[in-house]
Amino acid sequence: MENTNPFHYEGELSWCPGCGDFQILKSVEKTLTSLNKKPSEVVLVSGIGQAAKLPHYIHANGFNGLHGRALPPAFGIKAFNRDLTVLVTTGDGDCYGEGGNHLIHAIRRNIDITVIVHNNQVYGLTKGQASPTSEVGMVTKTQPYGVVSLPFNPIAFAIAMDTPFVARSYSKEIDFTAELIRQGVETKGFALIDILQPCVSFNKINTYQWYSQRVYKLDNTYDPTNRVKAFEKSLEWGDKIPIGVIYRSQRQTYDETLDRLGIKPQINPAHNLIQRGSSQGVMCGVNTLPDLSKVKSLLSEF
Amino acid sequence: MSFDISIKIAGQAGQGIQSIAEILLKVLKLNGLHVFAYQDYMSRVRGGHNFMQVRISDSPVYSIKEDCNILVALDTNSVDVHRNEVPKGGAIIYDPHSTMVDSPDNRFIPIPMNNLAKEAGSPVLSNTISAGSILALLDIDKMDAEEFIKKQFAKKGEEVIGKNLKALAKGYAYFLENFRNWKFTDIKAQKKNKTILINGSEAVGFGAIAGGCQFIAAYPMSPSTGVFTYITGKAKEFNIISEQAEDEIAAINMALGASFAGARAMTTTSGGGLSLMAEGLSLAGVMEAPVVVVNAQRPGPATGLATRTGQEDLEYVLHIGHGEFPRFIFAPGHHEEAFFTTIHAFNLSDKYQVPAFILIDQYFADTYATEKEFDLNKVKAISYQPSVVSTPYLRYKITKDGVSPRAYPMQGDFTFIADSHEHTENGHITEDGEVRNKMVEKRFRKLKGMQKEFGKPTYYGDKLVPSGSEKGKAKTVFITWGSNYGVVRETVDCLKKQKRSVAMLHFNRIYPFPRKEAVSLLKGAKEIITVENNYQGQFGNILKAETGIEADRKILKYDGRPFTVEYILKRI
Repeated sequence: MENTNPFHYEGELSWCPGCGDFQILKSVEKTLTSLNKKPSEVVLVSGIGQAAKLPHYIHANGFNGLHGRALPPAFGIKAFNRDLTVLVTTGDGDCYGEGGNHLIHAIRRNIDITVIVHNNQVYGLTKGQASPTSEVGMVTKTQPYGVVSLPFNPIAFAIAMDTPFVARSYSKEIDFTAELIRQGVETKGFALIDILQPCVSFNKINTYQWYSQRVYKLDNTYDPTNRVKAFEKSLEWGDKIPIGVIYRSQRQTYDETLDRLGIKPQINPAHNLIQRGSSQGVMCGVNTLPDLSKVKSLLSEF
Repeated sequence: MSFDISIKIAGQAGQGIQSIAEILLKVLKLNGLHVFAYQDYMSRVRGGHNFMQVRISDSPVYSIKEDCNILVALDTNSVDVHRNEVPKGGAIIYDPHSTMVDSPDNRFIPIPMNNLAKEAGSPVLSNTISAGSILALLDIDKMDAEEFIKKQFAKKGEEVIGKNLKALAKGYAYFLENFRNWKFTDIKAQKKNKTILINGSEAVGFGAIAGGCQFIAAYPMSPSTGVFTYITGKAKEFNIISEQAEDEIAAINMALGASFAGARAMTTTSGGGLSLMAEGLSLAGVMEAPVVVVNAQRPGPATGLATRTGQEDLEYVLHIGHGEFPRFIFAPGHHEEAFFTTIHAFNLSDKYQVPAFILIDQYFADTYATEKEFDLNKVKAISYQPSVVSTPYLRYKITKDGVSPRAYPMQGDFTFIADSHEHTENGHITEDGEVRNKMVEKRFRKLKGMQKEFGKPTYYGDKLVPSGSEKGKAKTVFITWGSNYGVVRETVDCLKKQKRSVAMLHFNRIYPFPRKEAVSLLKGAKEIITVENNYQGQFGNILKAETGIEADRKILKYDGRPFTVEYILKRI
């Protein structure tokens, strides 16, 4: 059967068979299809890692940058063109390790993007070293006596940063994950979705079986707008691991900050359509040139 | 009668050196005089020893002098440090109540600045008192100063304006009453001269705005902060997104994201910040993302001399970023050139989809100079967005000149990927050796076009004659780049007065290296001397690598201080 999903990519995927990334890809595809957006209106931004390959496997715009540096270009893209829907696909190493500093500040800015972290608690691309979320005691080739550093708790961290949307999912729950991503995209401001994902090649601890025995979905009795309760929930880990929307809040987004400052969007196809006479590619213009009379007025200041 | 005098205002950080200089410079400029001012400061907010040098002339000036005719000493230490730089007939202005002077001679002019300030209403007015006295000493009408004060303090209200005007008048009157017979020099206002007074940071920042900058992300670091500050101050007015990044890694990657989305994007940095940007610059190389990077150099390695000057990053910028990719490197010589170079940098970075570097340094950034009004019609921002793209759109289409059509998301119904990996024409990861070769070759094919663009070296001095004949050509050619334009130009002027056959060859564009021009302009020179603010003679090395021409002599300086004509003359 032909796939009619406009975001569907036909081509080879280079993940290991059985990898949770396939499930996340399906979830992202499902979300994008449900958004009523065209592929040209979506940008997937990533750094480096197995998760960072995802933009190549979706039919949309992509920016596959440097290891740990997915969030800064995502900021640049979204700030310059606020009409774009920007999703970041990143991993625990990319986002919580190499690029940890950017996570703090991207949340502070409250740029309106959705960050999907493929959290497999191990480094996949470099073949099995510990990641910032690996459990204490996990033995790898570079931690032969076991991991000693405490794992990073992204959920607790994000709540502490008053992130507008904080969720956790499990990759096997494809529809559930897709729904969380959709809610993240629709949230005004920064959305962090940490997705627990088995690594069939290198993580022999946090397996499908391990997760399936532990994860449970939060029900209606849980109120994600209560920050203290959310923080309590974020500490729940071990025999029972909650998945779902863990925290929600509201504060001024970066877009709104720009609006308040009077910085206008510079690409606005609806208002700035320049038809350039070709049936093949109707191109929208971008205001790239400054107002010369205004520039001239600066001279008088010197 | 022509004149050329230097004033040094010295004291501790926080004592108001800049406030005095600001009034002075603006008033001199309003009088049509040519000024050149440089600030020597320590890496601290209060205390220490800082000074501002101001040179004034009736003809254009391009550098500072070691000695000064007038010293304004705001503390005892400044008297001790600088008194020997003031020759007989010069003036040393100081406050006898706060500054101790051993055996003052007839150069010393005591002005009770603090007492006069208190009389005018507040001790903070002592800077305005000093400015008043200096203007009286220079025999410059104080009317322009009054106008300036009214404008400068307009936001602070009538009371502040009134007090400052009173202080100015007091300082002015005190000098005239007590030192009326003190004849210094014949400074004549040249009211017809229309100039602008601008510093290096402002010249680059203004150029960025005129060049259509739409996005700037940077992390504050001396001496690059001035450019970032200037642009940010105008961001609202010119619809520029300005963001202070969490670090330089974020700054360059933010700029690349904005560039991907269609923005004319830039970042500014210095020293260590540039090192942090190295990987991001490599990303710009493979993504073929236009971006303008201003690097205000300071001496390294590491923290080095944080608030001082140097030209040590040239070879670094030539190679920065792992892997191989083409780039533009510019090092403007004076503020007008910096303004236009910045506009060109935006245009060329956009046209060739390569990073464009603008190398300035602390000396250049912090130097104020009067320049003739920039002709804004000379260079304009030009956008190179394609009007039509083929279907399917290939972001990295292999083309003859190496430049692929660069469109942005949402310009049409197409999608594309920009990738840090080696990629196919449609931006997807590839490890295919043949595709790899084609991509590398495509990126480097741009060099042919880039080589023909803006940025030919400037030849100054004895006239050039058609090649083949050496008659009339300078025997000695000084080669320099970046901020040393002015000091070498004045050295040439000075030597020509001594009937020496000399010229200067100044390089603004350093990459792609203007090889042909360099070879032809240096043909026949008997002696080639490079002048650079670094230890290794980095430009000399590049010149040799690119042309085989080796300098006969290198005048190098790496103490963190700028060159002076005196310094160069002593070494030839």
